[in-house]
Amino acid sequence: MFTLTREERHVVLFLITIALLGIGIDFLAKKCLPAKSIAQFNQELGKIDLNSADKELLMSLPGIGEKLAGRIIEYRDEHAGFCKMEELKNIKGITESRYGKIKDYLIVE
Amino acid sequence: MKQPLAWLTLAFSLGIIAASRIEIPLPLIYSLSTVFLIFSCVTFKKRILFDIFLSCLIFSLGAVLLKNSQELPKCHIHNFVYYRNEQPYIVKGYINSQPVSKNNRNSFIFKTQAIRAGNLNYACCGNILVYLRSKKELCYGEELILRGNLYKPQHTYRDYLYNQGIRFIMNVKSEADAVRVNNNQGFIVKRLALWLKRKLEGIIFRYASLLSAAIMDAMVLGEKRNIPWFVNNAMMKTGTVHILVVSGFNVGIVSFIIILFLKLIRVPRRIRFVIAIPCLVIYCLMTGASTPVVRATVMAIVFMLGFLLKREPDIYNSLSVACLFILIFNPRQLFDIGFQLSFTSVFAIVSIYPRLKSYLGIESLKIKYLRLLIDGCLVSFSAWLGTMGFIAYYFKIFSPITVLANLLIVPLATLITLCGFSLVFMSLIFPALASSFASASELLVALLIKINAFLARFPAAYFSLP
Repeated sequence: MFTLTREERHVVLFLITIALLGIGIDFLAKKCLPAKSIAQFNQELGKIDLNSADKELLMSLPGIGEKLAGRIIEYRDEHAGFCKMEELKNIKGITESRYGKIKDYLIVE
Repeated sequence: MKQPLAWLTLAFSLGIIAASRIEIPLPLIYSLSTVFLIFSCVTFKKRILFDIFLSCLIFSLGAVLLKNSQELPKCHIHNFVYYRNEQPYIVKGYINSQPVSKNNRNSFIFKTQAIRAGNLNYACCGNILVYLRSKKELCYGEELILRGNLYKPQHTYRDYLYNQGIRFIMNVKSEADAVRVNNNQGFIVKRLALWLKRKLEGIIFRYASLLSAAIMDAMVLGEKRNIPWFVNNAMMKTGTVHILVVSGFNVGIVSFIIILFLKLIRVPRRIRFVIAIPCLVIYCLMTGASTPVVRATVMAIVFMLGFLLKREPDIYNSLSVACLFILIFNPRQLFDIGFQLSFTSVFAIVSIYPRLKSYLGIESLKIKYLRLLIDGCLVSFSAWLGTMGFIAYYFKIFSPITVLANLLIVPLATLITLCGFSLVFMSLIFPALASSFASASELLVALLIKINAFLARFPAAYFSLP
């Protein structure tokens, strides 16, 4: 049916043996290796960095429009970045309640 | 038998089909494969017995490969998603495909590396499809942290995504829920290929009008996102939609251009093929490495290697190598419609067309142009015969006009593709000439759409099936 030469038969059997071995190891790894928990995947995940976010990204925050995003960037440029998040309250238009709404989405790096 | 690989591929594919139909645990098939391997070794010198055991071994290997691909590791993202918990998930990973941007929404395949499940964070693996509302331009390989809802796709789309190795869709509602980690993790060759693709797309859209550019973009670079729906629908009805994707023909043109260029600068013949092979791989990655392109690229590489190794290439063997190559990477591709149409059409052309040609005695015709015309009809008819069943089953449409439509549309599509490649090439060497190629392609595209619309209006051009 296949009319393989002696050398070709050797090669085919060798390749299949390696493939079977590889599949066996892969299957065992899938079954035996446990799921690893990791530490560095923490609360800061998915938050916007106040010191690098651009206007568009800041505008995606709840209650932040174009003007307010512009003021945040202005403040950042004037003060060479934010040292802590509370500094946001110094910006005109960011009230205590607005700050409360957005602080969970932000981070200062 | 000159095509041993064809039989191996057949046995392998049958094994995959059997494993998809029969509920049988992997360890059992694995043990069976080991037994067949031992028997093959024992009967090594007895040709008939060896062939029988080798067939069984290849068959069981196909089954083992499919079953193993269905087994998910413990760290797979599937194991961390709880269906009744609607809270948003946070995942970290990188973009594993060329992002498609439409109406301020990006969609891409995301390779996950970590997930937060409950209060714990885990290293994870597996691909998800992401829809991200964002105006920002994203690129392949970009590392991101995403927050959004994860859900399973529905019905037929679920099967399609499952065959691509994707189990979940994530909806990311705003840009705030996507953070860039400023790390690029993609495969460097693929990054280069996609960068090149963006540059070439820029050239096409700079010189041609939106519709012509969209059609050339699809034909030259395999990018269908800008094709208007009415063009797609009309071509579906006439059975000519295949011209809107990159196929073996395009791979052939690229090979021809590369080899011709190298010939012009006096590169020796063998080195020409050595250079052409990596260029074809880059073109394959540029066009998204869809099944038809991978098939055509592997076949072209097998032909070139055949020349380099001084072996006579065989079309069935190279088709089998391409098939095995794709199935070894992902055995579930066997159930993908693109895979089925691509391989059956080529198989039908190489097996039915020569028989029809000799049966009708085309070679004895003395008028050259009539012979070429009948040849074209027969190729189109063979491909139609081969794919008719799949098209009727999947798309619920039967188009008798396909043979005639292909006869008129395919030459036009060939010219448009050549114009597209020439436009790109000329814009790099003689930008002043590029606009001439753009104008020619405008005319050809207009002609193609008019002819296609005219054919679709023919009585009994197509029938919708229940």
